[in-house]
Amino acid sequence: MIGAFSDVFNVGRVGEDGIVVLFVKAVIVLLALATAAAYLTFAERKVAARIQLRVGPNRVGPLGLLQPAADAVKLLFKENAAPSGRDKLLYMVGPALAGGAAIFAFAAIPISGLTCVGGQLVGQGCNGGYAFHWDIIHVNVSLLFVLAVTSLGVYSLFLGGWSANSKYSLLGGLRSSAQLISYEMAVAFALVGAVILAGSLDLEKIVLAQHGVWFVVLQPLAFILYFAAALAETNRLPFDLPEAETELVAGYHTEYSSMRFGFYFLGEYINMVIVCAIATLVFLGGWLPLLPWIHSDWLGGLVGVGWFLAKVTALLFVMMWLRWTIPRFRYDRLMNIGWKLLLPLGLINIVVTGAIVAVRAS
Amino acid sequence: MSVIIWVAGVLAALSALGVVFSPQPLYSALSLVLTIGALAVIFLALNAQFLFVVQLIVYAGAVMVLFVFIIALLSPEAEDRVRVDFRFVIGAVVALGITVAMTVAARNGITFNASNVFRAQQIGQASDPYHAFAFDQSDIGTVNTAGNVQVVGGQLFTTFLLPFEITSLLLLVAVVGAVYLTRRRGTHTRPLRREAALARRPDLALEEDRIEVEVG
Repeated sequence: MIGAFSDVFNVGRVGEDGIVVLFVKAVIVLLALATAAAYLTFAERKVAARIQLRVGPNRVGPLGLLQPAADAVKLLFKENAAPSGRDKLLYMVGPALAGGAAIFAFAAIPISGLTCVGGQLVGQGCNGGYAFHWDIIHVNVSLLFVLAVTSLGVYSLFLGGWSANSKYSLLGGLRSSAQLISYEMAVAFALVGAVILAGSLDLEKIVLAQHGVWFVVLQPLAFILYFAAALAETNRLPFDLPEAETELVAGYHTEYSSMRFGFYFLGEYINMVIVCAIATLVFLGGWLPLLPWIHSDWLGGLVGVGWFLAKVTALLFVMMWLRWTIPRFRYDRLMNIGWKLLLPLGLINIVVTGAIVAVRAS
Repeated sequence: MSVIIWVAGVLAALSALGVVFSPQPLYSALSLVLTIGALAVIFLALNAQFLFVVQLIVYAGAVMVLFVFIIALLSPEAEDRVRVDFRFVIGAVVALGITVAMTVAARNGITFNASNVFRAQQIGQASDPYHAFAFDQSDIGTVNTAGNVQVVGGQLFTTFLLPFEITSLLLLVAVVGAVYLTRRRGTHTRPLRREAALARRPDLALEEDRIEVEVG
């Protein structure tokens, strides 16, 4: 009974996939994310090089394409130097949490629309057959889920900075935690407008609500606010104060080396992917194609994945582009922008959107 | 599902013990984060997805971050042993009382208000206490069909509008109060304060300060 309900209404599907399907999905996502993070470092160096009229890494493999593999091997085999006065447990927990939280958050991100295997797509559910969701865990508050889990990443930064027992890491950890906490508000408020329009916190439903027109058209201000705040959330320039190379020694991961440092790096780049995925799903129509063409079968699902990845990649490129174009903000400016500019604008956006929706509904 | 609930429950209990018995304050706070996370997992297994997320965002993501911040910054000394004094007895009695009350409530159902508007009643088996409750006017199916968010939101802005608004006002007062208390007072700049202090206790001043005071 409950099972039939959840197929039609798309709720309560936690663990409804068989354990094998879940496992396969999880392994695919894990491998894809690790590879994506590795190649994002490569892409970043290439983009940086092109912007600065250089060539970039081109020695390892054709076009330098094996550079990430070489980097991974280097990280794995480097000596793991650790400060002697560290807190042994928390020093290990920090990097593990950085990578783990980021990967966990991706579990609730749908990369394509619902596919009905051996059934018919009726409205937003399947009539018979097997309802295949293109995410791992399907909660009806998936947007909040992603925000909640990524917000746990702040522990990794802070614990990493604190446990190393070094003043440089501690200061870096403090700066980054304060920045993350401040900009979480701006991120959440920027997304509320789109949630009001979609009437749901379910990422699948938010995407489907953009069938006629993407929310970036209806919510341009919110999109800009979200992207700006997201840059800060992921410690990207112009908001990369936590690890500002020219001011701090290296920020919260000063005392980390070898693969533990690698995990912080991994978490950071996966966070970039997540932020861009959320922006794509909430504002850019997710897997919806530019041309009105949608199928409920496997082919349609795969094409949807293609559109989704293309949009995410475009946003990732914009992030890199900004990094090598805009100088860093001063710390007090950073806080002012977060609290006195992005937050009030987000609130105004919520009020205006809510008023318009209420007027149209009545 | 019940396996998940048991695992999360044991984890919650163990980490709650960790909160009390950790010698290091920071480990206590982090144990509390773990407790909150385990409780959130139980909510998720009970299909209360909204509650799960709110628990993570509000408690684990916001409140506990500040706790950890403060503890790590003040870095208080590790406590060497548990002291059994008057406060310990009070705490133990209160904890025991709450535990007994919750056990009784879980077995017999809870009445939230006198007019029976919002009464949780027992509908499940005693052997399955986790699914024992449903609200009077809507069974589990209806709540989940609408989605937890819509039901919680609807109740907040209709049945519980007044308490909700009062709470938000209270929080606003707290925010304003906190800002007022931490604000740097008025026009006193650093040198002025130093002179005022020197005028109060000239005997504590250094040699050159005393000369300044005499000249001034």
